[in-house]
Amino acid sequence: MPDLVIDDLHVRLGDNDILKGVTFTVPQGQIVALLGPSGSGKTTILRSVAGLEQPYRGVIRIGNGVFFDGAKGINVPAEKRGLGLVFQSYALWPHRTVFENVAYGLKLRGVAREELARRAKAALAQIGLDHLGERYPHQLSGGQQQRVALARALVYEPPVILLDEPLSNLDAKLREEARAWLRRLITSLNLSALCVTHDQVEAMAIADRVLLLEGGKIVQSGTPTELYSAPNSLFAAEFMGANNRIQGTLEALTGTDATLRVGDRSLRGIARGVTRLGSSATGVIRLERVRLADGPGENRIAMRRAASMYLGERYEHVFETDGLSVRIFTAAPIEGGERWLEFPHDALWIF
Amino acid sequence: MDFANGIRLFTRLASVGAISLGLAAVAAAQGLPEGYPANYQATIDAAKKEGKVVVYSSTDAASAGPLLKDFQAAFPGITVEYNDLNSTELYNRFISEAAANTGGGDLLWSSAMDLQVKLVTDGYGQTYVSPEIKSIPDWAHFKDQAYATTYEPVTFVYNKRLVPAGDVPKNHDDLLKLLQTKTDAYKGKVTAYDPERSGVGFLFFTQDVKHYPRAWDLNKAFGKAQLKLYTSAGAMIERVTSGEHTIGYGIFGSYALARQKKDPNLGVVLPNDYTLIATRVAFIAKSAQHPNAAKVFLDYLLSKRGQNIIANQADLYSLRSDVEGEATLKAVEKAIGDKAKPIPVSTELLDSLDQKKRLEFLKQWQAAMKGQ
Amino acid sequence: MRLFNYGLFRLAVIAIVALAVLAPLVLVFYQSFLDAPFFQPSAKLSLDAYDFVTSDSDFWDAFANSVMLAAGMTAIAVPLGAVLAFLMVRTDLPGRALLEPLLLVPIFISAIVLAFGYVVALGPVGVFSIAAKDAFGFVPWNLYSFPSLIVIAGLMHVPHVYLYTAAALRGLGADVEEAARVIGAPPWRIALTVSLPMVTPAILFGGVLVFFLGFELFGLPLVLGDPQGLLVLSTYLYKLTNKLGVPSYQLMAVVVVAIVAITAPLVAVQRRLLKSANRYVSMRGKGVRSDLMRLGGWRWPALAIVIAWFTVTVAIPLFGIGLRSVVTSWGEGVRLSEVLTLAHYGDLWDYPNVVRGIFNTIGIGVIGGAVAVGVYTLVALVVHRWNSGWTRLVDYIVMAPRAMPGLVAGLAMLWLFLFIKPLNPLRATMISVWLAYTVVWFAYGMRLVSGTLLQVGPELEEAARVAGATTGRIQRDVTVPLVRYGILASWLLVFLIFAREYSTGIYLLAPGTEVIGSLLVSLWGTGAIDMVSALSVINVLIIGLGLAIAMRLGVRLHA
Repeated sequence: MPDLVIDDLHVRLGDNDILKGVTFTVPQGQIVALLGPSGSGKTTILRSVAGLEQPYRGVIRIGNGVFFDGAKGINVPAEKRGLGLVFQSYALWPHRTVFENVAYGLKLRGVAREELARRAKAALAQIGLDHLGERYPHQLSGGQQQRVALARALVYEPPVILLDEPLSNLDAKLREEARAWLRRLITSLNLSALCVTHDQVEAMAIADRVLLLEGGKIVQSGTPTELYSAPNSLFAAEFMGANNRIQGTLEALTGTDATLRVGDRSLRGIARGVTRLGSSATGVIRLERVRLADGPGENRIAMRRAASMYLGERYEHVFETDGLSVRIFTAAPIEGGERWLEFPHDALWIF
Repeated sequence: MDFANGIRLFTRLASVGAISLGLAAVAAAQGLPEGYPANYQATIDAAKKEGKVVVYSSTDAASAGPLLKDFQAAFPGITVEYNDLNSTELYNRFISEAAANTGGGDLLWSSAMDLQVKLVTDGYGQTYVSPEIKSIPDWAHFKDQAYATTYEPVTFVYNKRLVPAGDVPKNHDDLLKLLQTKTDAYKGKVTAYDPERSGVGFLFFTQDVKHYPRAWDLNKAFGKAQLKLYTSAGAMIERVTSGEHTIGYGIFGSYALARQKKDPNLGVVLPNDYTLIATRVAFIAKSAQHPNAAKVFLDYLLSKRGQNIIANQADLYSLRSDVEGEATLKAVEKAIGDKAKPIPVSTELLDSLDQKKRLEFLKQWQAAMKGQ
Repeated sequence: MRLFNYGLFRLAVIAIVALAVLAPLVLVFYQSFLDAPFFQPSAKLSLDAYDFVTSDSDFWDAFANSVMLAAGMTAIAVPLGAVLAFLMVRTDLPGRALLEPLLLVPIFISAIVLAFGYVVALGPVGVFSIAAKDAFGFVPWNLYSFPSLIVIAGLMHVPHVYLYTAAALRGLGADVEEAARVIGAPPWRIALTVSLPMVTPAILFGGVLVFFLGFELFGLPLVLGDPQGLLVLSTYLYKLTNKLGVPSYQLMAVVVVAIVAITAPLVAVQRRLLKSANRYVSMRGKGVRSDLMRLGGWRWPALAIVIAWFTVTVAIPLFGIGLRSVVTSWGEGVRLSEVLTLAHYGDLWDYPNVVRGIFNTIGIGVIGGAVAVGVYTLVALVVHRWNSGWTRLVDYIVMAPRAMPGLVAGLAMLWLFLFIKPLNPLRATMISVWLAYTVVWFAYGMRLVSGTLLQVGPELEEAARVAGATTGRIQRDVTVPLVRYGILASWLLVFLIFAREYSTGIYLLAPGTEVIGSLLVSLWGTGAIDMVSALSVINVLIIGLGLAIAMRLGVRLHA
């Protein structure tokens, strides 16, 4: 099956520009996650692809099948696009049984009764719920409902499946299991999927590619590793993972090597788009990359421990020194008082 | 209306006396009332062919019930589609339907005498000389189109429990004196039709001015006694019997009589100086779709048989002098002699519809209500 | 090429609705600029009617009275309705389950029935008045005074405010109240400072509605204002009928135009308030509903207030009309035990038109109500989740007939049936009455149905769309099945309203089209009070039966 292509998509709601030109491709067999804070336009992209919202510019197509083309005035209605959509709330029809919910898409396609029963049962079997077909949605657990919603979207074999925050209604424990299950299912069926989420962990776990959105634009796209380890903006860096922020000024810059001046100390790091010496800059380092050191040295600062928390599998500590506050993780408890912290220069991004 | 004209010509010819013996024999066999032209049977047959007559009436179905039952018995095959509406609605509906040319009422029978005469003078009526015309008084027919059908005294009613025998007014002077001497005792206790809101009320009060030299004195006395004005006889009688008010002025004797039969506590007085006689006027619409049935119904209303029901079952007062009973012209004459003053069915009634005169009267009335 | 074009279908439905709803109003407007009935060839364009009405001092009296009445009843209904809503929704008031349906009873009973009941019960010689006179030596109230009219009208319209406030309070999270309780506020303080202020738009919406209804109030001023000659705009309209001797449509039309001129802006205000009410809903606090606020020692006085209101507004007038239906006479010096009779009920059966009226009333409520709900549902579906100017247009135009007093709306309908030839044969059938009722109650019915439709989560419909269903299919397979129950509830409510309606059918009254409501007005005019009272009781029983079924099915009587 061909790729889903979105080209220069613009959506406006009233006076609000929700999408200001978004371009990306969901290659066949890949899972692409749209990640971003609320209001970044990720759900709007999903709904535009589904045909539930009308862009005013741009192109949405699968291979040569054009769904929407603002310039040519093409807008295929949602019901003719043949995509699968899993709603955040699942949107299972409460007046239909699980089986009827799943079979509805086939019924609309005029599939003969026996064929329909066979395929719907197969879809239910795929999600491991073939024994619950006669139940009504409200008789199922949240996790089961989510699977039914997925089966309903998959049963008529859409070229692309769209998932709107598929896991957000599950509780934390269930979510991790469902995440793995979902990814396995989609990849085993060799489906293309576009998945909206605001949780970067979820996005990285499920997706082959992540698109990070802010204010109606894609600010960065790439594999989960690329996004996590090489953010190209302060926003991307901060949105992914748990970070320490260090405010200062740019003291020196040679190639990708930058020096951040923080009070009377200097920290060397990797330059990320900073150019002007003397201008204010922000250093960002993931919590897990800050290390305890045994004494002074390059990129090391002596700080006093202000608080310490036990998180179960590790400890989190807050260190302070004049105007600077840094959090770190350790595997074992540590003693209080003043300690040297090291900020490895390849882990410190300076924006 | 060629057809209607033809019928008219036919009946005229018939009344001249071109009656064949055979027809007369048939008529007798069918039980035609005396004095009816022999060819009347043809009218009845045509009426039966028409099958029904549509009556627009301001007489409620409750009162008219016995009359309709008896008509069906007398003329099986002619059903009466009886619409009871208040007189204003009746007028509205009729002229609207006439304008839309959709047909509607065949026979209009309403107590709003002025509106009925207006419709006839405006050309909505059909000329028809009823064979009963000689049995009713002269004032009771107009242009061979409109016919009075009842003889309803306009009465005083009072609550027997609450009005001492000595206070009961026997005539207009009595009432005036009572209100002038016992103003406080009767403050808010006297009720009448509102001439501003009710066409009947306007008619009665303007007639009073014609017949009673001290009418405006009386009206001023009403004003001082805070006369309570209503738009329906039912509301007034109900409130008099309950004692909320104790004297009702200018009430249809027919309604009072009907109520008195159920509640002997209601007293009814025919004023012995003069008693206005109101009537329900009937005419056949020019646009009638069942003209023959309408004629038969009109003649029945005026006939002795119909009038007997009107007098003795419907309590609407018969206007024929050959009908016996409590609610008859005879009984009224016995009670008050020649003091009965029928409101004639004539163009005089149109005066009350003259806008300028009407508004002038109402202005004077409003002043009187303030006691001026 | 598709066989069925939904877009075209949509516009066609809207066009038909606009035609049915606006035609009577347009006709009345046109009439107001003529000097004679519009159907007379001699009618000419003229402003004479406006001159006449505006120079008539009665008009200005009626106008002032209407404004005072509307304002006065709003001033009574709003605080009482808001407090009742708080007590019913947020506190542990005893017997709430039983009280809830009772609170709405005044909406479903003809004002004319209640008004007459008041006369028998509290009139100058009413049963309670005489008892009071025996006890205190005088009657402490005067039913026919203007203040009494305002108080009664105000009390009768409490349910309207109650409905909107209660709905808003139900949507309000308990946490905001709990926050106030923890700080130490007693229940009445919480009501006044937290809960009610937060639902202000809903309260105001109800208030504007009551003010609006104040202008078209007819039955109450007709009966209670009669003895004092008290005029409001709707009864002035009635009076105009006779002012010139012959019915003067052009003058009546001018008054209708005046009423519309006042009420139309109110509709706009209402829409605005509704919008801000929605804003409040989205701002509401979160959290699960915890237990209800305990009134403690206040619960019995609070219950007493509710019962007192119900007694005065419903129980007393119904007692009055019920009493009148089983006696031959009443009033000062009458011993009721001597005049008891059941004959009035027996008499009813002697009149075929009354019997027909009873069956027609049930018929128009049950069958007519069902068909009307079908129509309302169709129109509501057509504009359902359709974000378009057409939707707002529909919202506005369906309000239009409400701006006319029912009597005039009925007359205009009669004209339409007369002058539109294809409609002629339907005129003397129940279809004409049904159409008039359906049009007059369009806004009410639409609100019921569209409110129900909006309860279907949009994603349930979108899910079907993405799965491949067309709009029509979605509505058939998802929306309608999901609101079956709500539509059933709407049917019951429309039944109640249709069974109660009295003024709209007056001009359409003909053999075969009698309904209890119009028969009551007609019989009242001719003085058959015995029948009026018995028929009223039958009407109340029919409505009571409908209410009982509604309660049995657990229908929430919310508009």
